[in-house]
Order: sequence, then C-alpha cells, then structure tokens
Amino acid sequence: MREPTASTLKRKSWARWTIHLFPIPALILYGMFVLYPILAALSYSFFEWKGMARGDFIGFRNFVTLFTTEPYGSMFWNAFKHNVLYFVLQMVVMNGLAFFLAFIIYQKIKGAEFFKAAFFLPRLLSVIVVGFLWKLILNPNFGTLNVILEKLGLETLQKAWLGDPGTALIAIILVNCWFGLGFGVLIFLAGFQGIPSELIEAAKLDGAKGFTLLRTIYLPLMVPSIMIMGILTFIQSFEAFELVYAMQGSMGEPYYSTDTLAVFFYRLAFGSSTASGTTAIGLGSALATVLFLFILVCTTVFLRFANKKDVQM
Amino acid sequence: MKHGAIWVRPFYYLVVFAVATISLYPILLMILSSFKKSVDIYKNPLGLPTSFSLDTYRTLLSKIPFTTYFMNSIFVSVISVILIVVVCSLASFYIARFNFSWNHALFFIFLLGMMIPIKLGIVPLFILMRDLGLINSLWSLILMNTATGIPLSMLILTGFFKTMPYELEEAARIDGAGNLRVLWHVVLPLMRPALGTVVIINFIAAWNDFFFPLIFITEKMKRTIPVGMMSLFGEHSADWGSLFAGLTLASLPMILLFFIASKQFMEGLTAGAIK
Amino acid sequence: MKQKSKWLLPFLLLFVVALVGCTSEEKTTVSTTPDKEEKTGEVSLTIGSWRTEDVAKYEKVIALFNEQHPDIHISFNPTKNTEYNTVLNTALQAGEGPDIFHLRPYAAGLKLAEAGYVEKINGLNGLNAFPEAALTASRDEQGNQYGVPINLSSTQFFYNKKIFKDNNLEVPTTWDDFIALNDQLLEKGITPIAMGTKEGWLLSLLHGIVGPAIYEGNDFYQAVLAGEKDFTDARFIESIQVMKDLKKYYPANSEGLGMDDIRTLFALEDAAMFPLGSWEIPVVLEMNPDLDLGYFPIPSKEGNKSVTTWVDGSFAINANSKNKEAAKLFLEFLTTKEFGELFVKEFSMISAMPGITSDDALLNDISNATANEATPYMWVTNFTGGDPTTKSLLESELQGMYLGQVTPEEVAAKVQENAKTWFTPFQK
Repeated sequence: MREPTASTLKRKSWARWTIHLFPIPALILYGMFVLYPILAALSYSFFEWKGMARGDFIGFRNFVTLFTTEPYGSMFWNAFKHNVLYFVLQMVVMNGLAFFLAFIIYQKIKGAEFFKAAFFLPRLLSVIVVGFLWKLILNPNFGTLNVILEKLGLETLQKAWLGDPGTALIAIILVNCWFGLGFGVLIFLAGFQGIPSELIEAAKLDGAKGFTLLRTIYLPLMVPSIMIMGILTFIQSFEAFELVYAMQGSMGEPYYSTDTLAVFFYRLAFGSSTASGTTAIGLGSALATVLFLFILVCTTVFLRFANKKDVQM
Repeated sequence: MKHGAIWVRPFYYLVVFAVATISLYPILLMILSSFKKSVDIYKNPLGLPTSFSLDTYRTLLSKIPFTTYFMNSIFVSVISVILIVVVCSLASFYIARFNFSWNHALFFIFLLGMMIPIKLGIVPLFILMRDLGLINSLWSLILMNTATGIPLSMLILTGFFKTMPYELEEAARIDGAGNLRVLWHVVLPLMRPALGTVVIINFIAAWNDFFFPLIFITEKMKRTIPVGMMSLFGEHSADWGSLFAGLTLASLPMILLFFIASKQFMEGLTAGAIK
Repeated sequence: MKQKSKWLLPFLLLFVVALVGCTSEEKTTVSTTPDKEEKTGEVSLTIGSWRTEDVAKYEKVIALFNEQHPDIHISFNPTKNTEYNTVLNTALQAGEGPDIFHLRPYAAGLKLAEAGYVEKINGLNGLNAFPEAALTASRDEQGNQYGVPINLSSTQFFYNKKIFKDNNLEVPTTWDDFIALNDQLLEKGITPIAMGTKEGWLLSLLHGIVGPAIYEGNDFYQAVLAGEKDFTDARFIESIQVMKDLKKYYPANSEGLGMDDIRTLFALEDAAMFPLGSWEIPVVLEMNPDLDLGYFPIPSKEGNKSVTTWVDGSFAINANSKNKEAAKLFLEFLTTKEFGELFVKEFSMISAMPGITSDDALLNDISNATANEATPYMWVTNFTGGDPTTKSLLESELQGMYLGQVTPEEVAAKVQENAKTWFTPFQK
C-alpha cells in the first residue's frame, strides 16, 4: 500500500460530510434486493414447513435433519465432494490453462486480439445455450465428439459421456472450464501487463530465463490476479448450479453423480423439476445457510491469509 | 529461453490454435446446424448444411416478436449497466480511497451477496416487487440485475481503485477539487480498464439472465430474449433445426455487440490495468 | 459548484428516465385492471400452464369460448415445463398468479390446494360429465373438488408396423411372446426398444408400463392400496428385475440417451418399439410423417393386457383471483362436449371426458383401451408423496440399478422404506 501518512491526513481534512453519501445508492439497492430477501429466506430455516405453509419456530431442527436423516445426510456429503472436485479441476484446468494462454499472448504473438476474442466468446452465451450445445456434442449416438473419435479410429474411447457416472461430472466441469476460460485469460493478461517492464529487464540482465524467470519474477508478481481468480473460482465452484441443471436436471443425474450443493438446494426448495416435485423449504433454507457459512468462512480465512502475505485484493 | 527458441514459438501457436478451435467450434456448430434439417443433424453431425436457406429463420421470426424481445433486452441491460457503473464507482471510491473505520466491514457486506444463491430469496423478492408494483415491469429486472451485479463489481472496482497511485488525485485536490470532481475527472478516466470489465461482465449477465424474467414477467410482450427463446424448447422439441435457429438468434446480438465493441472491451479488460 | 452541476445532470436525467419508465408501466397496467373493465362488462383472465407447445391450440379453444362469452378476454401464458412449478409456486405464495392454472395431477397439485391457493369448485356445472376416476386426480381426501380434468395420458408400447411386417413379426399376446419378439429383433440386428436411462422420469414411466404385466396389474395395485401387499413382494421385485433384463434390448449407450434421442431413434426407424405416452404420437409423426405407427397394450404372463393411464392435468382457479366468476364460466366450458371434441381434434390427446371420438384411428384405439384395459400409473396417481417423493426415489434407484450400483432387491427395499414414511396403508 502506498499511503504516505501525511497525505492521508490531508485527504481526511478534504473529505467533507458529503463523501458519506457516496455508498448510499449502492447500499440501498443492494440492501433492498439482495440482503433483505436473502436474510428473510435464511430465517425460513428455523421454521417447520408443511408444503408451502410456514409452521412453528423449531430452532435448529432442520439443520439436524439435514445432516442426520437419510437420504439428506449422504446427499449432502455426496454433493459436497462434487463441489470440491469442481473447485480443484477448475483451478487446475481452467485457471492453469488460462494462465498459460495469457502468458503466451503476453509474449506478443501474432493475432493476439483474435485469440483473446476467441477465448472469450463462449462467455457471451447463455447457460441454456451452452448446456444445449454440449449436450448435443457429447451425445453418445449423434454427438460430434464420438463421431470424431470414430473417424480417428478411437472407437474404444467412445462413451455415453453424460450418462456414465464416471465421466458425467468431469464432462460438466470441463464444459464450465470452456465457458470461463476467456475471463481467466483476460484477468491474468491484465496482471502480466501490469508488471513493470523494468523488473523483467533487470531480471533478464541477471541471467534469469525460461522457467526461472517465470518462477522468480512472474509468479510472485501475479499473485494478486491469481488470488482474484482463486476466490471467484471458489465461490463459483461452490455455487455451481446452472450448467448441471441445464444438462443433467435437478436430480444431478445419472444417480446423483453430478449433484452439487446448489442443485440439491434447488431440489429441496423448489421441488424436482418433474411434475411430481414436492418442496422442503425449511431444509432447503437450512442447506443454503450452511453453504453460505461455509463459503463465508473459507473466503474470510483466505482473505486474512492473503492480507498477511501483504497482497491486496 | 535461448535453447528453446526454435520450438517455443511454434508450440505457442499450436496451443492457442487448438484452444481457439475448441472455443469456437460449438458456436460454429450452432450456426451451421440452424441451416440443417433435423434428420441431417442426427445422421451427419459433422457435415455441412446442404443448402443455406433462411426459411427456418423466417418462420421463427414470424412466430415470435423478436424485435420486441430484443428492445426489452437492450433496455434492461443498458440501464442496468449504467446504474451499476454509477453506484459502484461511487461506493468503491468511498471504500478504496478513504480510511473510515467501517470501510472494511462495508466492503465485506457488499461481498456477502456473492456467497448465497439469490434464488433462495425469490419469494420475499416477489412480494417486494408486487408491493412496488413492478410485477410485469422491466424495472423489476433492472433493479435485480443492478443489485445482484453490485458484489462482483465492487470487488473489481475496489481492487483496481486501491492499486491506483494517489499522486494525481492529490494534485487535483490541492487545486481545490471536491470529491465528485476528483472521481469524475481524475480517477474514473484512469479506471477505464476496470470499468470496461465491469461493463461487459454485467452486460452479459443482464442479457442472459432468465430466472428473474421467468418469475417476474408473465406478459408475452415484456419478455426478454432468453425467456422468449426458452419457450421455443417446448414448441420445437422435435425440430432441432428451428431450435438451433432460435439459439443462434438469442446469441447473435451479444456476439455482434461484442465484435463491434471488442476493441473497447479488450482494451478495457487488459490495457495495462495496473500501472 | 460548477463541477457539481455537471454531475447532477446525468443523475437527474437518469432519475427522469426512471420516473418516465415507472409511470408508463403504471399506465399499461392500469388499462388491464378489472375496475375499468367492469364498467364495460369486460373481464380479462390469464391462464398459467406448462404446455408451451399448445399456445396456438389454446387460442382456438379460447376463440370457441368467446363465441359464447365475447366479453371475457383470456390470455394463455405457459411457462416451460421444468420451470412451471417454481414460477407458479412463487407467485401463489405471494398471493398472485394467473386466474386459472394447469394443476399437476394428484398429490403434487393437491399440495397447492392444501396450502389454500386453489378455489374449491364443488358442484360446478358439468362436472358430472366426468367419471369418478378422472375427478379424483384433483380431489382432496375430504372430497373437495379443485380441478376440471382435461386429458388422460396413457403409456404403452408403440411399434413400427413396417419393421414388424418386414420381419414377419406379430404383436405379442403374452409376456413370453414379447420377450421372444425382442430376441428375434435383436438377432436380425434391429434395436428392439428405443429407450434410454439418462432421464429418470423415463424409468418410472417404463416401469409403469411393464410392471403391471409382471405383477398382474390391478390386483396388486388394489392390494397395495389396501395395505395387504407392499414393495417387498416377490412379484414387485421381479418387475424391477425385468426392467434390468430389458436393458439388452435398448440401443447402444442407452445410459446416455434421453427423451429427444430415443424419440429420434424410433421416428427415424432405427428402433422397432417405443414405450411412451400417447402425447408423443403427434411429435413422432411430425418428425417422420411416413412412419407406420401402431401400438399394443403390454401382455402379462397370463395374457392379460394393459395400458397404463392417469389424468395428466386439470384446470383450477386461483383462490386469490379477482375474477372467479368469469373463471368459473371458463371451467364450465371445459366440461362441455364442444370443448371435448375440439380438444381431441386439435391436441391429438385423449379427452378425460368419456365417449369423445376422434378421426384418428390410432388415438381412438388407445382411447378405447384406456376405457377397457386400463391400469393406473400408480407412481403418479398414488406415490407422489414423501420427500423425496417415492416416484423420484424410484427413478434415481432404477438409474442406479442400470449403472450397476444397486440390485433390484435394494431398489425395492429403498422404495418400500420411503413409501413407509408417509403412505398410510403401509403404516398399519
């Protein structure tokens, strides 16, 4: 932080009371349309629900049910594991690849603008469109992926990608990586371009090159962008919903192999998407509360850790 | 990098080409398939369409009020983005450039919104919108897009605000400029890259949102593009040619807009953000 | 000061834009409020539904209704099937929602009634046009009627007549015939059954078709309702085992195939049989108008035949509607023969009203079968309670069975365990 104390004092003296009006519009909008409804709904978790009618205050009983009654307990941990895999794979595959691609573009290759745009293009599509397209590509009998494998003589690798519990979740996560890659590239590229060129020149003069240069100069200076992407990926992984819902439905098919906490939440709070759905609003709210607290605690710890290491967000 | 100089560059190109192909292929598939007959999509998924007839598009456009949906989407997205930029610039300027004791807490409160699925609060929200008389009004969508866009925008803007040097700002203040003037004339122009990021991320989110329009809008003529297109899934479940034409129509405005504004966006997103 | 005015301008502009936006919205909503319309005797109604595919057809229904009631304006605003529950429930919980809505059959719809969101229509003119069985789909335990039933759905095996003829195959008359038929098709290199296990609802649907053939349909059903037999019964377990055994007759990669895929396989004549609902007839024929389509009721070991039926939807009135009288007029219209005939003709579905015939021979045959050879689709008619519902639990567990993760015995045990938590006959 570049904050000479003298100028801080001066700024304070400049700051008139009107400055306190600055955050008000954002606070009002955010408070009314995000905080209030969420807090109201979180309170549902402490009530008994009969279908859609609210019953008595029952303290933490919904939370107890969620973790101790089958099938909820095993569904929770099953979904939780999937969220963890979601996070790990996205960090490694999506952010790793995005970092590498950003590094390549940073080397001033020809057509950099085109590539940046190409990587970002999927991010423009609606999740409905993304889900539909990939469902078609991964379709075992009409899908282009299996057709390509066949043309390459790799029939043995052909699979019902989204119907096989061994590949369905990974397929969904990779589609998510495809979707989010371009955003990562842009964030990392901004990071690379923010590195003062003098530092690089100096290191090069010292004889650093290739991997050493990457490790000693680029990586440490890229920590802020890696942090941003890390936190965003974490939150997004633990709230993963739309793609699973669009491609595998509200049951996390096949046989809960693509279930995530947010899909589980949706199923509880709104009923499964088939005609026979029933709702368990109390349990759904309890799950959302747990999910929220988990993300909150992890992010806080992460930010503390980041602050200690003197990294600014 | 001397020893690798011969193969490194070709390797780089190989990687970016491969990834770009994977990135673009599904989009290409969507556009090509919209010209195909359903049967060809199943029987010959890799093939090119046999003829380029625009008939599917014509029948689609005659069935759905696409222009209305398009104007609704534009109206909602543009106003939402303007609102987000205005309120978040003000708030993040306050949080990042001043040291009031509650700023950390305030920033944290803004971030909370990212950590909970907002779908949870849909019933209280519906009641709120009803009481405000905004059911079936595009303003319900604008308010939701703005409010839900605030956390991520605050994160990005505050982060970038903090990395900006204070010297310029101080110079302006010594000249007697007030807070708004500092923000408007000194800080914001330097923030173009971060603002660009905020604009595009929120524009995409607002354009593609389908949950809130689904809940708050029942009148056909007030629908936005994603919801309008979603009804196609029910109507054309057996006619994938039309379905693809619909998906292409839903995505094309965003893609075209992106190409038109691409230079700004890309500069906004990358041009030496951290100086 | 100067800089301030510069800032104020865009703000003011925005504010004005916002105000203009709000007021213009208000104007448009005012014009549709009932107060104004009542002066001219005109009323506007909205209908909520999950049938997005039927917009044009309902316009014809509304036009017919308007011949008698020109002053009631109705707009049909369907929501995509998978989001319908969310959209409707949210609106109802806030005391809003369409005046008339498509009620899900049996327990799912009655849950809305239980919460007080649905108007009772006991004694509505014309309700006696329907048989008891159709009315129970939207009647609670106290005998209150909430909906006017619209259509029956029936599930059975469709088959490609041309493939059968080319291979000298006959429609099976016993279960063993049916299995032999499948084997013959398999030998000839033809996929016997277009079926996929990726979407759970297809699995309970198929069990609804083949199950009754194994446990001899209605007797077992009645025994279950009376609490005399349950899902640990050997015959029931066998019906699950049979589902598993049928897998070898499914197309390759069946674990990755969903509704669209199997319909396509059958419509493009790549598979000989298609176990699905009556509502698929127009869709399949739209895809391949030349398809020579037939159906057969599934034969049991003893040669009993059954098609599986249930009421697929009823129309009900929102308890918070401001135009209940007009809505009742529309519901009464739905009980008339004129509507029934138009419905069968336009929608190619089976009317819940008996004695309505169609020009379509196939549909007529099925319609007759639902009257004579019907067994209820018990997963929908009786087992949509519980949390998760017994039906959706069955779907997941069957999926698990196809993936080799659970045995048929375990499926039956889990279904029993779930049903026991709420299904009163099992709690005796």
